[in-house]
Amino acid sequence: MLGLLRARRGAVILFGLAAVVPLAVRDAYFLDSLVLILLWGALSAAWNVAGGYAGQVSIGHASFFGIGAYSAALMVTRFGRGPWLGMLVGVVLSIGAGFIIGFLSNRLKGPYFALSTIAFSQVLLIGVSRWRGFTSGAEGIPVPFRPGFLTLGLGHVGWVYMALAMALICFAVEVYLERSRVGYQLAGVREDEDAAEALGIPTRRLKVVAVTLSAALTSVCGSLWAQYIGFVDPTYVFSVDLSVRFALNTIIGGMGTALGPFLGSILITSLETYLRATFSGVKAGFTGIYLIIYGTALILVVRFVPEGLAGIAARLRVRRAHA
Amino acid sequence: MSDAPILELAGVTKRFGGLTAVSNVTFTVPVGELLGIIGPNGAGKTTLFNVISGYYRPESGRIVFAGQDVMGMAPHTICRLGLTRTFQLVKPFGSLSVLDNVMIGALTRLPTVSAARLEAERVVETCGLASQAGSHARTLPIGLRKRLEVARALATRPRLLLLDEVMSGLNPTELAGMIELIRRLHGEGLTLIVIEHIMAAMMRLARRIVVLHHGEAIAEGTPAAITQDRRVVDAYLGEEFVLAQA
Repeated sequence: MLGLLRARRGAVILFGLAAVVPLAVRDAYFLDSLVLILLWGALSAAWNVAGGYAGQVSIGHASFFGIGAYSAALMVTRFGRGPWLGMLVGVVLSIGAGFIIGFLSNRLKGPYFALSTIAFSQVLLIGVSRWRGFTSGAEGIPVPFRPGFLTLGLGHVGWVYMALAMALICFAVEVYLERSRVGYQLAGVREDEDAAEALGIPTRRLKVVAVTLSAALTSVCGSLWAQYIGFVDPTYVFSVDLSVRFALNTIIGGMGTALGPFLGSILITSLETYLRATFSGVKAGFTGIYLIIYGTALILVVRFVPEGLAGIAARLRVRRAHA
Repeated sequence: MSDAPILELAGVTKRFGGLTAVSNVTFTVPVGELLGIIGPNGAGKTTLFNVISGYYRPESGRIVFAGQDVMGMAPHTICRLGLTRTFQLVKPFGSLSVLDNVMIGALTRLPTVSAARLEAERVVETCGLASQAGSHARTLPIGLRKRLEVARALATRPRLLLLDEVMSGLNPTELAGMIELIRRLHGEGLTLIVIEHIMAAMMRLARRIVVLHHGEAIAEGTPAAITQDRRVVDAYLGEEFVLAQA
């Protein structure tokens, strides 16, 4: 255990800071940023399970996010039950959807798979937008705030710990995939499917399992997000923008590394929050500037550190060891 | 040791559209044999391996491994039964270390990572890759990649190992090392089928050779008999080979 903590120094420091900071800082704006960093990090880590560890790059993970968000919101507004039950329903639905997507990954490779996942999220977007009687369509659903843990009506500090718990769950899944039998087998599938199959690995089944697990985690995050933000609408929760965000945080942070998605989220989310605040209002014309950041960050990373921010850390460690 | 063959092919045929890549091939492999398969480019050697190992489903015929009909089984199932193949165009897990590559093979038989790592260390040692164990597989030169291909397959503890041109592209030293390794594995009781282009190597390894030409098994016999066979000389070896041997 101690050895594991030492090997994961970076994570211990990062998550430890996130746990301690709310005790000292009460600034709502800052805490809000922290919740978002953790939630986007958790979502990117969930994406990493399929995209980074199993090599199944999806650009349709907003599907599962949206399913989770709507399940929680609808459970509260339409059925008058708690968001936790909605979260559970969302997970079940996402497992079903993840199974379909995972099955597709056995038929379609690389870019064709990625395209099919986009198509899947677009189908959900259109379906939810049109089904006005149930989902309120494109108007979206405001989620009422009812204080309490069972209703997920938490204060800023409470949300930091909720998001931190979710981040830790996703991180733990990643760490498991780096150390376990199934994790190594998935790495084989990612590196070369034919070779993995020849070595006795049930590649098709493993891919479905990885994609489904990734979908379930994404869905839980989606449910939490809906309760935190207090509003869901189809054009946002099923958007390609969102799917790209999960992928890019992870690519920028380091695909197939446990801490990478969180590093990516820290960089991108904090830059975005800062720039949104700086360029809103008077300079409203700049609201889309975070897209430019994404593009720039991606180009810089792919050009200079293709293995991501986590790769920089690894390089520095190697250099220090040699010095 | 029983007399039942470990592998039995009966009338195996594989077509791609109008092309018959493997045509009505029949042979059996007894336990403990080292069978060679030779033939010119495009003769269907690799296709035959793909059929046996489950990557292609043949149109007709029967493939029985260790008393079990394996036709239509997924490659990973066939591997779990004890039949493992290597790839002519090597397929290393490039961004993983040599040891991890081999360990992934070992995990097929072993339930825990720690047990598989020990097994992998042993296999890596056997295959002469110990000094590269920590390197990324993609950084290896081709000679060592071929060795890695064999090591990874060995880690699955096969009863029958199919080697697809693991000796081609090697320099003379590497070639000698690979021949030595294959001989050692065979000496330890492993049954092997070896596809090879290099006749000289094949003559030194196999007691029995099957010659494929246009997908058909045109000859079968000892290396000496094969080199005398008229059809084999015409189809593959050429007059010059026979003269050089004389």
